Amino acid sequence: MSLTSLAAAQAPQVHLTSQTRIIAAVLAIAFMVLILDLIRRDRLQERYSVVWFVAGLGMLIGAAFPGLLELVADAMGVRDTNVALFSIVLLLLLGLALNFSVIMSRQAAQITRLAQERALEKAREQARSGENGSESERQRLES
Amino acid sequence: MRTLVFIPAWNEEGSLPAVIAGVRESLPEANLLVIDDGSTDATAAQAREAGALVASLPFNQGLGAALQTGYLHALREGYDFCAHLDADGQHPPAEVARLLEEVYEDRADLVIGSRYRDPGPVESDDYKPTLSRRIGTGVFRFFLTLATRQRFTDTTSGMRAANRRVMALFSERYSPDFAEIESLQLAVREGLRVEEVPVRMLERAGGTSFLTPVRSAFFIFKGMIVLLVGQFRPREAKAER
Repeated sequence: MSLTSLAAAQAPQVHLTSQTRIIAAVLAIAFMVLILDLIRRDRLQERYSVVWFVAGLGMLIGAAFPGLLELVADAMGVRDTNVALFSIVLLLLLGLALNFSVIMSRQAAQITRLAQERALEKAREQARSGENGSESERQRLES
Repeated sequence: MRTLVFIPAWNEEGSLPAVIAGVRESLPEANLLVIDDGSTDATAAQAREAGALVASLPFNQGLGAALQTGYLHALREGYDFCAHLDADGQHPPAEVARLLEEVYEDRADLVIGSRYRDPGPVESDDYKPTLSRRIGTGVFRFFLTLATRQRFTDTTSGMRAANRRVMALFSERYSPDFAEIESLQLAVREGLRVEEVPVRMLERAGGTSFLTPVRSAFFIFKGMIVLLVGQFRPREAKAER
């Protein structure tokens, strides 16, 4: 690796080459196709897919207009565009993970209630069918 | 006046039949419900054999969810009062009768059986806490008293009696994994009268405590977070009193 390329890599502003932009765009499109396919095969519900679709679109826009990213980095006061990109993505993923924990908690509560309802239904069934049985049980105990 | 006594049980086939027999003897008027919390042993079958009604949760849901099942049943079936005790034989059913006496007389909405309040002379089969249990008890006692401004000595006691106000509250809001402590905080915050009654507890007849030192530490840590968050929960303020 030559000294000049090292210096280029350390330059504060790293511009995306057209090659990386094409790769990013292709990945973004492939990602959105994957989301659509998952919905089509009932592996992903629509209401949980919106956020992923927005993420794919974001990737595509970032690839199409790299100047936008530099604008954002400037607004954040970050000199290195890559750092800005990584921090934005990291924050978004953190938010997503939290969102999933919230959804999981809600579903855990729903599962618990469902289990309780089923258990109580079974108990009522036992009470109805065993009314005679438990009565004789009582008498047996008392005699 | 109808009373439901419910017993949450998770793999307690060894001790459950004796507990059921004891409840029958001490509380002949009460109906009995065993909440089988996804047991993999013969707990449910033995409870049915002993003539108790059994509500079997399809998978283990934790003590809180099991207890809530009992409160839900009591509320829906129109019971006036309910009580619950542990299935491991630590709680003498005769003491549960004393707790129920307090709610019958309307001296409190929720009554807790405390093994630490005004202890009498210690007998040989009496409950003796381990060291980690004593530390945990001390910490919870301090923080719960701080949070509720009411003196509690036995915050994790699973021997309780309650009236319909408590059933209505607990069947809707009962923390699934920190049931004992959070429920006391919740009840006090919602303006219910919570009272402790000194009771005798025995050494467990079967099974082992789930507490190891590491778990105890984690348990205590979790409890403190739960209490802290509980202080900022919205009040429902619908307790009609």
